[in-house]
Amino acid sequence: LKVINCCVWDPSGEIFELKAELNSDKKEKKKEAVKKVIASMTVGKDVSALFPDVVNCMQTDNLELKKLVYLYLMNYAKSQPDMAIMAVNTFVKDCEDPNPLIRALAVRTMGCIRVDKITEYLCEPLRKCLKDEDPYVRKTAAVCVAKLHDINAQLVEDQGFLDTLKDLISDSNPMVVANAVAALSEIAESHPNSNLLDLNPQTINKLLTALNECTEWGQIFILDCLANYMPCDDRESQSICERVTPRLSHANSAVVLSAVKVLMKFMEMLPKDLDYYGTLLKKLAPPLVTLLSAEAELQYVALRNINLIVQKRPEILKHEMKVFFVKYNDPIYVKLEKLDIMIRLASQANIAQVLAELKEYATEVDVDFVRKAVRAIGRCAIKVEQSAERCVSTLLDLIQTKVNYVVQEAIVVIKDIFRKYPNKYESVIATLCENLDSLDEPEARAAMIWIVGEYAERIDNADELLESFLEGFHDESAQVQLQLLTAIVKLFLKKPTETQELVQQVLSLATQDSDNPDLRDRGYIYWRLLSTDPVAAKEVVLAEKPLISEETDLIEPTLLEELICHIGTLASVYHKPPSAFVEGSRGVQHKRLPARAGSCLLYSPAASHFMGAGLGVAPAAMPASLGGAPAVGGGLGDLFDLGGGVGMPTGSYVAPKTVWLLAIKAKGLEISGTFARRGGIIQMDLSLTNKAMSVMTDFAVQFNRNSFGLAPAGPMQVLTPLSPNQTIDVSLPLSMSGPVMKMEPLNNLQVAVKNNIDVFYFSCQYPLSLLFVEDGRFYRQVFLATWKDIPNDSEAQFQIKDIHLNSDVASNKLQGSNIFTIAKRTVEGQDMLYQSIKLTNGIWVLAEMRIQTGNPNYTLSIKCRAPEVCQFVYQCYELVLKN
Amino acid sequence: MISQIFILSSKGDHLIYKDFRGEASKDSINVFYEMVTALSGDQTPVVMSHKDLHFIHVRQGGLYWVASTKTNPSPFTIIEFLNRLAALTKDYCGSLSEKSVRMNFALIYELLDEMVDFGYIQTTSTDILKNFIQTEAVSSKPFSLFDLSNVGLFGAETQQSKVAPSVAASRPIMSSRGEQSGKNEIFVDVIERLSVVIGSKGVLMKSDIQGEIRIKCFLPTSSEMRIGLNEELSIGKSQQKGYSSAVRVDECRFHQAVKLDEFDTFRILKVCPSQGEQTVMQYQLCDELPCAPPFQLFPSVQKDYVNRVLIFLKLRCDLPPKSTALNVSITVPVPKGSVSMSQELSSPDQTAELQPKNKALLWEIPRFPGGAQLSALFKVDVPGLSSASLLEVGPVSMSFELAKQTCSGLQIRFLRLAPTQTGLSQRWVRYVTHSDSYTIRI
Repeated sequence: LKVINCCVWDPSGEIFELKAELNSDKKEKKKEAVKKVIASMTVGKDVSALFPDVVNCMQTDNLELKKLVYLYLMNYAKSQPDMAIMAVNTFVKDCEDPNPLIRALAVRTMGCIRVDKITEYLCEPLRKCLKDEDPYVRKTAAVCVAKLHDINAQLVEDQGFLDTLKDLISDSNPMVVANAVAALSEIAESHPNSNLLDLNPQTINKLLTALNECTEWGQIFILDCLANYMPCDDRESQSICERVTPRLSHANSAVVLSAVKVLMKFMEMLPKDLDYYGTLLKKLAPPLVTLLSAEAELQYVALRNINLIVQKRPEILKHEMKVFFVKYNDPIYVKLEKLDIMIRLASQANIAQVLAELKEYATEVDVDFVRKAVRAIGRCAIKVEQSAERCVSTLLDLIQTKVNYVVQEAIVVIKDIFRKYPNKYESVIATLCENLDSLDEPEARAAMIWIVGEYAERIDNADELLESFLEGFHDESAQVQLQLLTAIVKLFLKKPTETQELVQQVLSLATQDSDNPDLRDRGYIYWRLLSTDPVAAKEVVLAEKPLISEETDLIEPTLLEELICHIGTLASVYHKPPSAFVEGSRGVQHKRLPARAGSCLLYSPAASHFMGAGLGVAPAAMPASLGGAPAVGGGLGDLFDLGGGVGMPTGSYVAPKTVWLLAIKAKGLEISGTFARRGGIIQMDLSLTNKAMSVMTDFAVQFNRNSFGLAPAGPMQVLTPLSPNQTIDVSLPLSMSGPVMKMEPLNNLQVAVKNNIDVFYFSCQYPLSLLFVEDGRFYRQVFLATWKDIPNDSEAQFQIKDIHLNSDVASNKLQGSNIFTIAKRTVEGQDMLYQSIKLTNGIWVLAEMRIQTGNPNYTLSIKCRAPEVCQFVYQCYELVLKN
Repeated sequence: MISQIFILSSKGDHLIYKDFRGEASKDSINVFYEMVTALSGDQTPVVMSHKDLHFIHVRQGGLYWVASTKTNPSPFTIIEFLNRLAALTKDYCGSLSEKSVRMNFALIYELLDEMVDFGYIQTTSTDILKNFIQTEAVSSKPFSLFDLSNVGLFGAETQQSKVAPSVAASRPIMSSRGEQSGKNEIFVDVIERLSVVIGSKGVLMKSDIQGEIRIKCFLPTSSEMRIGLNEELSIGKSQQKGYSSAVRVDECRFHQAVKLDEFDTFRILKVCPSQGEQTVMQYQLCDELPCAPPFQLFPSVQKDYVNRVLIFLKLRCDLPPKSTALNVSITVPVPKGSVSMSQELSSPDQTAELQPKNKALLWEIPRFPGGAQLSALFKVDVPGLSSASLLEVGPVSMSFELAKQTCSGLQIRFLRLAPTQTGLSQRWVRYVTHSDSYTIRI
């Protein structure tokens, strides 16, 4: 075997020699020669020139030699397709060999030769092998179907291999079942809507039986497949859980994690008061703890998964805090992950123990770890209120060590503690100020400056401290500069007399001498504010700040749900959905946890593809017409009909969809849409049409700031990729919690839609009736007084023409859109309706509508303290009455 | 689904490369090697990604065992599989090294072909594999019982030659065809890893034991073996301890092949061991150790002169007098900026050195008999010493081995092979406890 270690490769000589050996008569010599060829191949040398000679060795009864030749073929067939055909005859012959090992070997190798021409010859042998009497051949053939599907999917469908594969799920040999399940699962992934893996209670039963008999790797395939099943009720779900639970004590951690995934998912369906639910929770803890005794690599992967599990169900591991304590010889990545979990599990019950540990960690050697430990103390203080005081004193102890990075990190977290518990721990400021000089990291400097600015009135020499920072203003990072600017303005507002000079100095540094536009802008804003209206400046700059909460570092719930469905996979290590890192169609299917028992009964198994829609964006299947109209999808529709039928006699008017974004402006994506208010929920109904040639995926939507703070309440749920010429209807629930900015016109909404191709922008206008809330009935008694109270010049008069309704019908119609008639008066054949409207932001609108019998023109007077809305309220009246 | 599997030497040479799905190019080997060598300390090496290709790897025998994938498979599956692959390679080739892999590449390709098909893992069991594998292993060295260069289970050569020919455990299992070179031997190892945290006042804060029973089997045919554990072994936290000194574990897991019908009543494991190495039982015990922790430390740290710290350590070994701890090493973190150290040790076979790079001093004791007490004085010079610097001393961490001992008290009562077993077979039972993480806070 000298060839391998030989550094100088002399192609002609070496290959010549090998050629001679390959054509030798002696079997041993031939074998050695093929071995040498493969050795060269492994180290990356090109030995494709030997193809015909190697193929010649193929017809042999020596299994070892045959295997070696096949190995070579797999590697070079692609680059020598014509030559590969030469081998076909032998393959076909080998598929009929009496020895099952050779039959399996042939069918396995043929599938690995990714040459199109070969596939034609492969079909017949494959069909035979799928029905072979030997399970070893059958299981190899099952995998071969997946291989063939990868090369030529159409062929597999045409030849009916998929049905044969489905039959193999009922095979008597568990290994065959496992491979058939694996192959079908993979094929099904590339056909998201096909019903390939037709999981029903019978097949599930078969799989569960095979689970007990097959190898550990087969168990993983089967468990992963089970995880995709939706049990039809909690009883079925419990019985599956019961049969999967024994896998938790398997020695192979991959089996354990796949079992955990199935249990976490099906547990979702069990009622929480069930005894079994509690039992299951208890059973999950020990296997998870055991995973932490594995090698560091497995530990890390386990910890990433446990991190997800404790966010979803903290009760499972709440008593196991100790196992997450860090060992001194853990690799750093394991330590950091353990620390994160410790904080997530921290509670009043165990906080003393946790703090003692964290304090120890803060004196360790590894700088990154120490920093994270100090930060963790801060997070504990924010999470567990009772411990805040102890945390602060621990941090002060750490500051006493004067270890530079510990001090800086401590100051950064103390700032957060101040934000969570204002006016509580200010006594420590003096200690902090002592360490001012040692701070050299921007984040710590910025934090310290923030503290000084925020509590300027309690720090006697605040002006001196801030002035000392000002000296090197231009050398500071942007973060520090911005903070310093704000802090000095705060100081000025608190102690205006002594600090006039200082504030002037910082304003001119920020506005005149800086290249940073953010800094300049902020400087100018402060300057204008201070010069025009110091009282307003005080209100703006010293406004009350929102408290920070411990929930900021949690994974967003919908993502968490999806990740829980992917426990034990790469997604759970990256904490990203598979669609973010798997290319192509595979993995873009978003998985969802099943709904809890009860609501689940509405779904028949056949409607299980509604599951996804049922959770996040329920009315996705609703047509964009009247809210109460019958919807598609049986049970779902009934549910909503019910909701719409209560309290809303006619339902609010929903305009038909109009085109908002033209396909030519958005690389083939056309968007039309409308807005609706259904049962108090505001929705944006969109139709996305793909007029391009390629598939669109990864849709997302965002709104610009707008007058009423409309914002998407969740991500846009486009579950399947949008293929060309396909239209998909999406209903996006909106909330009013977005940032507010007055728009022109008032009801203008600017939207950005992103997909895998680009980001597109459009604007649309929503009817103001979207914002009319259900409890908009004004007190009758005070109506008149309020009406008079609003000055006459904010009264607006409009004519609504061509309405042929009597006053009762009209007021009924208006009520459907939350315009409430609270009183009616009839004077000289003229009906006067007094109406009230309340907007989501609390603005009241009062209106008086006069209807004269026989006159199709109504007169509408609107009074409101925010007169700019009147115009748009009038538009709503017109829209509602005319439709 | 696994896309490719490759084995690289520590220098990045391609030893084995197998592509299962034809979806990634061979360049990925070099991409992987560049990534893994460029990793900085705080990045996790376990899972790495390059564009849409993800690498998962383990290091065994100084080699990189790597799998790449383009889908979203279970990293557990892949890591477990790579570990098995390494173990199987060791079983088949005798030892795990660059050389043995290079020499047996044909065998490893053959193994891989049977173990993985189109990225689906098929089997890792030697029982199944032996039906298919044709290639004979090439042993890198002629097997010799007296060759002690190969460090075995116990690390210390002196011990191993007395206890068991540990080199016997590192030879190829496959000699089924051809001459019967090996003996009919079976090794049963009880290995425990001990983690302990002792608080600053000598209070035991945390302790746990991770244990396993591992079999290495060279019997040519597989037949049932019965392993008897302590009869009074109890499992689970809830069970009350009786008045007898029961041996207790919190939780245990078993190999798939282990039959447990006699376990509940007689604590007997029944297993048909496959050839090669396998872990039949894993167990753990948290917090309630049946014995005292093996070492107690009595430290004192003082500021001496202006720039000198005195560290006086008194270390007591609480093992029974007949036992001995081996290769004891003690690491004490020292203040930043320590430049030099002088020491007073109690015997010449001990060593101590200052490692300024790690900010630590290392004290090593090759043998430490039970019941003994050793002390050492270290004088560390630290220019610019402040009182806060003294806080940087500690926590002390230790590593050691306890041969012929288990801390949990778990014992193998007997080891019986089925009478059908032909020929004389030798049975070896070995016990060892390693320190996993032994920390003493100052």
